Amino acid sequence: MTTLLETKQKIKNFYGEHDTWILPLLKFLLAFLVFQSTNYIMGFFEALDNIFIVLILSLISAVLPINGMTILVCIAIVAHCYGVGIEVAGFAILLMILLMILFLRFTSRDNLALILTPAAFGLHIPAAIPIGAGLLRGPACAVPSCCGVILYYFMDTVRDRSTVLQGKETESLQKLQILLDALINNQEMWLNILAFAVVLMAVYLISRTSADYSWRIGDAVGAIAYILIMILGGMFLNINISIGSVIIAGILGAVIGLIIEFAALGVDYSRSETTQFEDDEYVYYVKAVPKSFVAQAEKSIKTISSESGSEEKTEIAEAPEIPEEEEEAVPVERVAEESFDFEKKLEDSLKDL
Amino acid sequence: MLDTQKIKKMHKLAVYESGEGKQHLATSNYYRSDYIGLALIKNFFLTTIGYGLLVLGWAGYRIDYLMSNAHRMNITLLIAGALAGYVILLVIYSVLTYIFCTLKYARAQKGIQKYYKGLGEMKKIYDREESRNEKITGRETQS
Repeated sequence: MTTLLETKQKIKNFYGEHDTWILPLLKFLLAFLVFQSTNYIMGFFEALDNIFIVLILSLISAVLPINGMTILVCIAIVAHCYGVGIEVAGFAILLMILLMILFLRFTSRDNLALILTPAAFGLHIPAAIPIGAGLLRGPACAVPSCCGVILYYFMDTVRDRSTVLQGKETESLQKLQILLDALINNQEMWLNILAFAVVLMAVYLISRTSADYSWRIGDAVGAIAYILIMILGGMFLNINISIGSVIIAGILGAVIGLIIEFAALGVDYSRSETTQFEDDEYVYYVKAVPKSFVAQAEKSIKTISSESGSEEKTEIAEAPEIPEEEEEAVPVERVAEESFDFEKKLEDSLKDL
Repeated sequence: MLDTQKIKKMHKLAVYESGEGKQHLATSNYYRSDYIGLALIKNFFLTTIGYGLLVLGWAGYRIDYLMSNAHRMNITLLIAGALAGYVILLVIYSVLTYIFCTLKYARAQKGIQKYYKGLGEMKKIYDREESRNEKITGRETQS
């Protein structure tokens, strides 16, 4: 654990020093992951299903704001739908506009979840989204997450029925009916939406309590709730759900939740303190949990060379650097009364107070 | 010599200005009633477009049924039902928009107040520096 904490501290320091290029790099990697998973799920528009195009789009996304990345991914999805048929692309645009008008316009800060959800489904870790959103964001994030579920199942439907949708004998209105039927009557999608909403709310509510290990409890409860809702819902609604993949998704979601907890929270509950006091109006119940912190041992390399300069020794000291003693004491300067700024000195001492 | 406290304050203000402050400053240009009124007008158009698209999608989905039963259907009742649905949706979204904009405006006001407080502190620091400089230069000219 100490090694992990030290590594975390090192990463934090490194990020603090080089955040100007690390943030765009992380955005680039995220965009690359999302574009690749979109290509993996659909991949009908050949021009987009090319690693160079994906790299260029990821580069553009790295310099754009997060919502810019969301729009680019939505355009990529529409392009893939266009690869199946112009009617499918039209339906995709209609669906996205509806989602935008009815739901997403209220949650502009959390809309990244809209494109992360299909990517998570593509990576078989859908539970990571509600758990992560519950830990890091808030209940509002349930809206884009659930819209993301709809978007994923739309993409899945297009992939499954691509042969029918690409067929020239199928009329445009029939294609629309096929897509709408597949979406509205897709009970697995509704079950996932329910699971996402319940898990996110449960994780959010539990993780915000003052109980010890609340984030871990919330994480575990979220994973269990996801597994239970999916398995029981699948049994009652007669949906063909792979129990193994649901359990694996729940476990992986919990693991990702633990990683998020380590990265974002990192507190030491064993040293938590509680106190109670009161004033005229209130009684205060205070609980202070210290953050896990490991003082890093700085390695300093001292080169000691002999006077003749023929031999050189290199010593590695594990202990923190000790400032070198000054060779000579600096003589105290006599300050003329005229040039001495009493007002500034007074201000400085007042600041210390 | 660099004044670290002044730099810290300036950095804080600059971060706010380039981040969420940009949105807050744009929001605070309006009066509360104007801001919410404008949002409600925008909501009216968006909800109308959204409802229109929903009806269009539904009509496309049920086109076979509508074509074969058009002569038997009570068109007045159908239109009344569609209008009732529209009004209900509009009311729900208007309430949601009102709550959302009220909260957003209040948050922006809070942020702006903090920002102006920071600006005031900065002004005080500058005034103090200026008066100090004046004193020093005054002394120098005297001597």
